[in-house]
Amino acid sequence: MMAIATERCQPNCCDTDSMMGQTGTFAPIVDILEKENEWLLRADLPGATAETIDLRYERGLMVIRASVPARQDEKETRYLVREYGVGDFHRAFEVGEGIDASRIEAAFKDGVLTLHLPKAEEIRPRKISVQCDRN
Amino acid sequence: MSLIPWRKKEGNGGSLATVSPSMTRLRDEVESLFSRFANDPWGWGGLETGLTAWPRSFRADMAESDDEVIVTLELPGVDSKDLDINVSGQTLTVRGEKREDREEKERSYHYVERQFGSFHRSIPLPASVDADKVDASFKNGVLTIRLGKRPEARPKKIPVIT
Repeated sequence: MMAIATERCQPNCCDTDSMMGQTGTFAPIVDILEKENEWLLRADLPGATAETIDLRYERGLMVIRASVPARQDEKETRYLVREYGVGDFHRAFEVGEGIDASRIEAAFKDGVLTLHLPKAEEIRPRKISVQCDRN
Repeated sequence: MSLIPWRKKEGNGGSLATVSPSMTRLRDEVESLFSRFANDPWGWGGLETGLTAWPRSFRADMAESDDEVIVTLELPGVDSKDLDINVSGQTLTVRGEKREDREEKERSYHYVERQFGSFHRSIPLPASVDADKVDASFKNGVLTIRLGKRPEARPKKIPVIT
């Protein structure tokens, strides 16, 4: 019914590792968990700040963007070793229409974004009680 | 550097979407291993890693200015209380633990990409540093360690006498 685990790959959505040691746009790594009443998404966005994170939900598409400033002033310093690239983050997920968009909540702590996507009332699991037919 | 040509993406999305996550990870590890041999003139990657490539979460960058060596590690989700930083001679050691925030083990995960656990990195420094002039800050998941170089390790401008 609901296809949250579908990633919408966009032309500028890069593999986390493919641009190692460069600048560019990176797909943040995520965990996505389904709970009874919500979907929970955690994304690693090191270097971003709450102000630079841009979250949009529109027609079933959840888009995460964050801009990350350069970590070194390259006029003053030179890189000796680069194991990771520094750049903006961008990743989009098809979460379907079954989200109560008005109640989406997000928090950011120590570089980790936690996004709560509450399920709309009509798609929550329901326990159906069986009526006993007494003749 | 990419050793495997099919890694290149063509157009929208490329072929990655068709590769299973475990294959992608294996490919990344193998490739990272190759690129480490090819791109690691400082030789600092081979010291502590063994055969496993570092997950993105524990990677480091190192830069230097005339006065400082600056090491940054991306450690999203690590609590600064769980970090232990030491300088001994020309080696910087960073230990820490990324504690699992997956408390809901019984629930169904659709994506599991983030990694947890303890890590320990010993990073050879390119210059001798003054252990009293080391300053570490942890902000938004990025650990920045600034190590002041000893005066003798700073570049000297040599005047040309005519």
